Amino acid sequence: MKQIQSRLRQTARQLLSEGKVDLLIGYRQGSLPLKTTPCFVSQEEEAVGLVWNSFCTNNLAVYLPGLFRPDPRSRKREEKKVGIVVKGCDCRSVVGHLKEDQVPREDLVIIGVPCQGMIDEKKIVAKLEGKEIIKAKEQDGQILVVDEKGQEIRLAKGNFLRDSCQVCQHPVPPLYDILIEGETARQALSDEYAEVKELEERSIDQRWEFFQREMSKCIRCYACRNACPLCYCPECFAEQSQPRWVGTTDDPSDIMAFHLGRIFHTAGRCVDCGACEAACPMGIELRKLTRKLIKDVEELFGYETGVSVEEPPPLATYKLDDDDEFIK
Amino acid sequence: MTEKILTKDKQEEFLSRLIKVYQVFAPVEKEGNSLFSQINTPEELAEEYRNTKRPPKELFFPHSEALFRFRKGQVLEENPNEVERVIFGMRPCDAKSLTLLDMVFNGKDFKDPYFIARREKTTIISIACARPQITCFCTSCGTSPVSEEGSDILLFDLGENYLVKSITPKGQQLIDSLGDLLTDTQESDLKKRDELIKTALVEMKSEIPTEGLKEKLEGMFDSPIWEKIHLKCLGCGICTYLCPTCHCFDIVDEAVDSEGERVKNWDSCMYPQFTIQASGLNPRLSNKERLRQRMMHKFNYSVSNYGQTFCVGCGRCVRNCPVNLDIREIVKLISGK
Amino acid sequence: MEKKKPNNGGDQPQNRQWQPKIVAFLCHWCSYAGADLAGISRIQYPPNIRVIRVPCSSRVNPLHIIKALQHGADGVLVSGCHPGDCHYGSGNYLARRKFALLKRFLEFIGIEPGRVQFSWVSAAEGQKFASVIEEVVEDVRKLGPARRLVKNSVK
Repeated sequence: MKQIQSRLRQTARQLLSEGKVDLLIGYRQGSLPLKTTPCFVSQEEEAVGLVWNSFCTNNLAVYLPGLFRPDPRSRKREEKKVGIVVKGCDCRSVVGHLKEDQVPREDLVIIGVPCQGMIDEKKIVAKLEGKEIIKAKEQDGQILVVDEKGQEIRLAKGNFLRDSCQVCQHPVPPLYDILIEGETARQALSDEYAEVKELEERSIDQRWEFFQREMSKCIRCYACRNACPLCYCPECFAEQSQPRWVGTTDDPSDIMAFHLGRIFHTAGRCVDCGACEAACPMGIELRKLTRKLIKDVEELFGYETGVSVEEPPPLATYKLDDDDEFIK
Repeated sequence: MTEKILTKDKQEEFLSRLIKVYQVFAPVEKEGNSLFSQINTPEELAEEYRNTKRPPKELFFPHSEALFRFRKGQVLEENPNEVERVIFGMRPCDAKSLTLLDMVFNGKDFKDPYFIARREKTTIISIACARPQITCFCTSCGTSPVSEEGSDILLFDLGENYLVKSITPKGQQLIDSLGDLLTDTQESDLKKRDELIKTALVEMKSEIPTEGLKEKLEGMFDSPIWEKIHLKCLGCGICTYLCPTCHCFDIVDEAVDSEGERVKNWDSCMYPQFTIQASGLNPRLSNKERLRQRMMHKFNYSVSNYGQTFCVGCGRCVRNCPVNLDIREIVKLISGK
Repeated sequence: MEKKKPNNGGDQPQNRQWQPKIVAFLCHWCSYAGADLAGISRIQYPPNIRVIRVPCSSRVNPLHIIKALQHGADGVLVSGCHPGDCHYGSGNYLARRKFALLKRFLEFIGIEPGRVQFSWVSAAEGQKFASVIEEVVEDVRKLGPARRLVKNSVK
């Protein structure tokens, strides 16, 4: 980790000093324990603030479409080269942006970092059962947490990985300009869709109950949408008022319609980076829903998201012998 | 105003008696999130809690509120009056936030009858914070972990028992009605209380430089600083929806043909749609303008309008921001400290 | 919302025999013409459908279906041209992929199978149109009034 971090800083410094990028998106130390925060570096000297550790959870690709969008006032796009630090999942989001023509490849420098899985802060907080965490750091594959009473607690990193990291099949970015050298760890899982299958096997009423329960937590802050690199629509259907697709009330029906609309819009595009679930302040299990679509896209169309820029998106293409069984 | 003692073994009875007379709201754990919700038995109260994830503002200013029903231009029924309620276990920062919301919804110029009715019929029992969190900075925001502001009754957790202090006549009345459960304070209780106040203030480690902030912001509308601050902001509504003082709303007609309800929904200045005009023009085009608005509103406009900073330092936005955009850091950056 | 009211969007089951209300999105070139043919051929089919004509089955956005269920439809049918017959070449092929996913997804979250159905009906298949409608109405009738996703706060 430390090595990756120093390599990353060096690379960033070099790219900035040589003028190969004007802006570099990476992570720096956050203001709270267990957190890093996205940072935008444009000066060579600032590169020293970049960090790499097991708390680099944010998917930085979320910022790309906005950076390359023309300025809404002048309607001109500022010429700039952007460097971005990506893990495997983040990179697959970038592949999606390239495929959907949201980001000009020539203006992008992808700095791939091999990933060993990121920590789920919520899992650690839950483990500490309400104790306030004052400090946290990473040490030899362990997370060292200090609680409010000054007590040190050592936690094995492996037990606190994000759910999306536990089923990750692409810890190394599939596309990059520069790959930082380092080790990766892939979790061996017997069945990556076990959670989805478990739900599928429940009765329809139980599934509805699950869905209702998750949706009941929603406060409509739209963090899931705004944290999602694929939700780059300049105007979301949830905000359109003519026609108005979804009401803005807290009626369960409106909440469900928003989530169904949003999640279905990521069908065949979602790379399971886990950003939506991580951003949700209320702990809605959104990935159970997005992963159902990933699983079905794989089953029905044999398509895996975010690995190839050229392969057409599954819902923008077809085969003559696609499943027809369900149609009368 | 009196001070009494409630031993903890009587807490259950205290709550049960309240539940018999009032609708009682208290912090509960619901689907993994703490929030204020109605309780029907004392056991429903969350065991240990600090700041609830959802602030109590929704008990007065609900996410969605039907103001009235209408059919063909006729108002059919108005929202019924609220019943008498007690909120148990609020934190002083949240209690303070209600006094700020009063200024908005029960101010000189505008009065929101729905909000006012709920406020009038609610008695607030707060609990002083003995252990502030690392994200708490209420002492910088004109209140404190042991502040009485906004509460009708303030409890001090002394370990074995609570010291119950009535703050308002409404609180006194409630205490009087439950007088048989309470005993007189001893010298040692008062000592313990003073101790608690002292530690709570010492434990409050986090602060923001609010002094002179309003004046500082005065000339900062076009400052390049906003270009930098907003970059990582995702533009979601977590900070506004979990903020105990954010109070923006939108009124829509939920209607089919000419029959339906006029509904008041929460809205957020962080949403692009918030300022979009009928012509399609949006004066706050990007996160930069929106974030600036949020900061300006909290630390400048509200000071001009109400003489108060509209932040109570509860730390919810700090804790829940998905990109760790920390309001304390923004304020520090603005003040150049 | 604070006040909840019963859903009066559909026909009230308690007052008279409940009749399912079905929104049918029919493609202009095939299924709509199929419905026309059924009409001019005097083929009887249940009067429970409310037809919305769309240029192509792929025009139907999943949100159309969700919104129909929100606002009082007990069932939704999307019908387009047979594979190979699309007026626009490939619209129905694209629709087929989209709806294959949507159908599974809606069932995954607990919307009963049968609430949302799909069919291919050509302009020459008046008889098939009538029998599709019969089947769909029967399926939805068995399921009863829609309760899930329904927006209760507003009539």
